[in-house]
Amino acid sequence: MMMTKKIMALLLCGSLTAGILAGCGGSGSEGQTAEAKPETEAAAEEAPAADEGAEEAAAEETAAEEPAAEESAAEAAPADGEDKILRLGWSKDIQTMDVHRTTDNYAVPLNIFDRLLEVKLNEDGSTELVNSIAKDYSISDDGLVYSFELRDDVKFCDGTPLTSADVEATFTRMFTLEDSVQTDFTTCIKGAQAILDGNADSLEGFRVIDDTHFEIELEEPFAGFLSVLATPTCCIFSKANLEEAGDDFGMVPAKTIGSGPYMVTDWKTNDSLTLVRNPYYWGEPASASEVHYKVYPEPSTFNMAFQNGEVDILDCDFLDSSIVTSTYETDAYKDKLIRVNRLGTYMISINAGIEPMSDVRVRKAIQMAVNRQGILDSIFGGHGELVDGIYPAGSIGFTAENQGWLQYDPEGAKALLKEAGYENGFDLEISANASGSSNIASIIQVVQQNLTDIGINAHIETYDESSWLAKRKSGEMPLFAGVWTLDYNDPSNIIDTFFGSAESTKGRSLNYADTDVMARVTSAKSIVDETERLKEYADLEKKIVEEDASWVPLFALQHTFVISDRIEHFTPHWAGYGDFNAYGVTMK
Amino acid sequence: MKAAVKRLVSMIPVLIGVMLLTFIMLRVVPGDPVSIMLGEHYSQAKIDRLTRAMNLDKPMWEQFVSYMLGAFRGDLGVSYMMNKPVTGLIAEAFPQTFRLALMAAAIAWAVGLIAGITAAVKQNKLPDHLFMGFSLAGVSVPIFMSALFLQYFFSYRLKILPLTSDGSAASLILPAIALGWNSAGSVARMTRSSLIETLQADYIDTARAKGLLRPAVIFGHALKNALLPVVTMMALQISSLMSGAVITESVFSVPGIGRLATQAIQNRDMPLLQGTILFTTILVILGNLAADLLYSVIDPRIGDE
Repeated sequence: MMMTKKIMALLLCGSLTAGILAGCGGSGSEGQTAEAKPETEAAAEEAPAADEGAEEAAAEETAAEEPAAEESAAEAAPADGEDKILRLGWSKDIQTMDVHRTTDNYAVPLNIFDRLLEVKLNEDGSTELVNSIAKDYSISDDGLVYSFELRDDVKFCDGTPLTSADVEATFTRMFTLEDSVQTDFTTCIKGAQAILDGNADSLEGFRVIDDTHFEIELEEPFAGFLSVLATPTCCIFSKANLEEAGDDFGMVPAKTIGSGPYMVTDWKTNDSLTLVRNPYYWGEPASASEVHYKVYPEPSTFNMAFQNGEVDILDCDFLDSSIVTSTYETDAYKDKLIRVNRLGTYMISINAGIEPMSDVRVRKAIQMAVNRQGILDSIFGGHGELVDGIYPAGSIGFTAENQGWLQYDPEGAKALLKEAGYENGFDLEISANASGSSNIASIIQVVQQNLTDIGINAHIETYDESSWLAKRKSGEMPLFAGVWTLDYNDPSNIIDTFFGSAESTKGRSLNYADTDVMARVTSAKSIVDETERLKEYADLEKKIVEEDASWVPLFALQHTFVISDRIEHFTPHWAGYGDFNAYGVTMK
Repeated sequence: MKAAVKRLVSMIPVLIGVMLLTFIMLRVVPGDPVSIMLGEHYSQAKIDRLTRAMNLDKPMWEQFVSYMLGAFRGDLGVSYMMNKPVTGLIAEAFPQTFRLALMAAAIAWAVGLIAGITAAVKQNKLPDHLFMGFSLAGVSVPIFMSALFLQYFFSYRLKILPLTSDGSAASLILPAIALGWNSAGSVARMTRSSLIETLQADYIDTARAKGLLRPAVIFGHALKNALLPVVTMMALQISSLMSGAVITESVFSVPGIGRLATQAIQNRDMPLLQGTILFTTILVILGNLAADLLYSVIDPRIGDE
């Protein structure tokens, strides 16, 4: 017995020591290589890496394709061996690269897939719809049939061409995939609902004409459809790849094939992800030869990594605003700050169904009482743009003509209240969501003070999230602050949600009363002529917000990034997402 | 030997209990994975579809039984968010945590023992105060703080060690110190008090009276007995190392088990959270078992019945 114990003790100690030594031994050798790898050497490695990636991709295909792949890969690899690796950080790892299965992991899909159309962000902050792999398109006079012509030089990163059949397979999968989360804005395609209901397995409204021509027919006219096609939701996949990869699609790099400027070569869970140039990309090759993402769960670590030169673009959303102000909003970084509009409108909803706010003068008084610029300056450091209507600054539909009419005027507001017979004010509840964002919570505080200033006895009532939602949906919430971020770059997205029908305006606790206007909102979707359509949306905006004072429009905020010295130029995502296409980055 | 087997068998009901508890707790807390997955816009039809796809429409007991049966086959289900088998994710993450915990333990035990012994021998003299101050800091400063401090000083200012983990062992040094410092403090304090007590025992006087040199007395006679409680504590510290790893791994971007757990909590990823909790439970139980076995090895008086 004594003997056994001794042996056991020896074994236990031995294994412990061995383990410790193994750990330390590794530290010596690996540590050296890690430290002895200066940036130039890392750069020299990138050429073979790109090569390997292309070969791997090509290996999936026939042997005949291989020479071509190698040739292109050689082109893609930077000849000068310069360090062109773009290093980015995430606060948490992505869950999938398959956009049909996620509503927020858009960074990789934006880089490795193409869309039929894209939204271009102009220097002045405005946005417009441009062609991408769709070379041309036309819309039938009834606004129902969209005919597309694809570019004929688009290839996936495995060398196979992208054809109409791939587009069809992508759109069909959006509805047939059991756990698809991306059906909201595309169910307008004819036959989509039938698939979702289990009554069909092919998409009736999609007609392939030949390899580069196809038509999509809608259930009813929807002019915002083109903008929907430009969202990450509508990334185009490879039919052959989808069939071959099955559930590995979006999860395994080698089995996730796209036609975008980059292809994914490596993904380590919770650690890192690597993109390299797609050798077959149809456009100009991307400036950065590789993109390395690393996960930094802790914001201060992320910040130090940027300061240490280990990260090239810092997303200030990850940092505490006091750090952004003290470190980056300084002279040292004034040329390094990149700001982009977030396409979302903050607003204060006023319930026209509740006394005394059913009186338009009271609603106008509330509009005039809120010090919007004050809120923007004090809470958001002034980084945003006032919005006087519905559509956020920078979006399609935003017009300069509808801006500038709403001024902060507490005296005027008091006069209006007096005129309406409320010179002694009234009690008003501002409803707050306990789990809502801190931005909204801060806004509410100021609004309460502003309303008190004109004599309204406003008080904040806080609800837990589900009660708050239930009250709002019942149409009985008197006043609250909110934000709507565009799902796709079209005015219909926001105006329909709030003013599209009696049901939707009640669900938003607005209780907008004018049914004629709501009918116009609905029919505006069918206007095929773009100029006419945008004019109608601008008119509706003026009517609803300026004349009927349905809500207090606040502002659209900006998203701030800091770039390192290695970056020449950076165009963020048009909607102000933290996720962006690295194609928009030019390295020095 | 028999005792060890008995202990291993008695693990099974403990594990079932842990599984049941986590299973129930995860389903009682508000927030459901489906609505988190769908984001802001969703219809009831879509919720139903996804609920079906994720098997959440089955009765709870049925979900539990199928989960438990799967667990004993080594199948912990598929993570909702990562779309990967939980066992695979744990297998991928564990080596990272294991290396980190091992280095931390090595640092904690080595530093803790040396500091504790020195402090006991030089009781109430400068080294004692110095080491005990150090260990007090280790016990009291939160890992989060010491981690940031180490990062700031060694990676950002001096630039001698990597800021975050890149898989190399050099990049594990700072996280291991951050994680091990706390344990080192406890080990040092425990060693010190235990050794001081032992040094007052009669047999130490006897040994001295025999004319043995001071080091021989301390290392040959006193330490062996003084270390008994320390060894237990060191083995039990496996659990605190595991929980400390949650924070350390976040600060230093180490893709280990702790990160899986935080991610699972944030995303209401029930299979993944259940899996990581179960796995950590097994580790802690094994740690305790090792402590018991070591105990009887060091002190033959504690036999195995």
